[in-house]
Amino acid sequence: MRTTRKIQATVGIAALVAAAAWAQPPPPKKTGIEGEGYVWNEDAGEKMEALELTGDAVNGEEAYEVCSACHLPSGAGRPDGTFPQLAGQHTTVLIKQIADIREGLRDNPIMYPFATTLIDPQELADVSAYIQTLPIPQDNGRGSGTNLEKGKELYDANCVECHGNYGEGDAAKFYPVLAGQHYKYMLRQVTDIRDGRRRNANPEMVKIVKKYTDEDLDAVVDYMSRLEWPERSGAADAK
Amino acid sequence: MRRVRTIAVGAALAMLWAAPGGAELDGAVLYKERTCIACHGPDAKTPILPTYPKIAGQNEQYILQQMNDIKSGARNNGNTPAMAGVMHLVDEAEIAALAKYISGLAP
Repeated sequence: MRTTRKIQATVGIAALVAAAAWAQPPPPKKTGIEGEGYVWNEDAGEKMEALELTGDAVNGEEAYEVCSACHLPSGAGRPDGTFPQLAGQHTTVLIKQIADIREGLRDNPIMYPFATTLIDPQELADVSAYIQTLPIPQDNGRGSGTNLEKGKELYDANCVECHGNYGEGDAAKFYPVLAGQHYKYMLRQVTDIRDGRRRNANPEMVKIVKKYTDEDLDAVVDYMSRLEWPERSGAADAK
Repeated sequence: MRRVRTIAVGAALAMLWAAPGGAELDGAVLYKERTCIACHGPDAKTPILPTYPKIAGQNEQYILQQMNDIKSGARNNGNTPAMAGVMHLVDEAEIAALAKYISGLAP
């Protein structure tokens, strides 16, 4: 009887070990804003090496090919906001977001495999540099246009300080370009930032949008979707 | 005679336009445009992660079932979160066209 038990135990353990060996590790999950002692944009992690390198936009164009399947060769993404507009985005912002997705600090199961293919810091620097050179298309998805006065009021009061009059953001401070971004994409992000689902969010920004109702968010995001930054814009009819 | 021919040509064109799975439902085009290519590869058998399936030559009915289930949430295991987010890009007819196209690819 005892021998049978021993055999059962051995087989059981062996099965567990085999299962563990066969099982794919889930994507990593790093504690973000929901945890104690969260520091936004710490000077640590996978992004640091890429940030220190000089990106080569020519090599970046080749690396961008896989991205273009969803974000399009122009970087325009989809106006319904499924995929964001990337063209003209700050290199720093792109590097940080991809690194955050890879680390599991920003949850994005669709993007995760693509972030892992950019594990080489030079390639990440290259593709981010390339994307910044793309001119911002002018036909992004916009909101209903019914509450723009309120939107401008909110933007001027709360957002312009960091994101700028043109929605140009700040490369050095990792504040993203908003000009030319799709309404639906921004609405989803800012709602997630307000409600705690964007775990790599800047607590300063969470503080500000915490007071926003859904109507406020719609108004300000609609206004933002119409911002234009001439310095990085494409021609009016560019797609 | 000419009138009959004109009507015949017109009718043929109208039938082409109205036919199910018409020109606008080209599975190969949909496969690229709706971003299947990004994760499953240009040949539908070179996925970007080893945990993603090769689907070229898979049974049409099976593909159809999986796509519909992932879209509805009836299937929500494993890597389905990665695909659920893009299923709104395709409607019923497009899913059918894709299933047909993918099942016809070399496995």
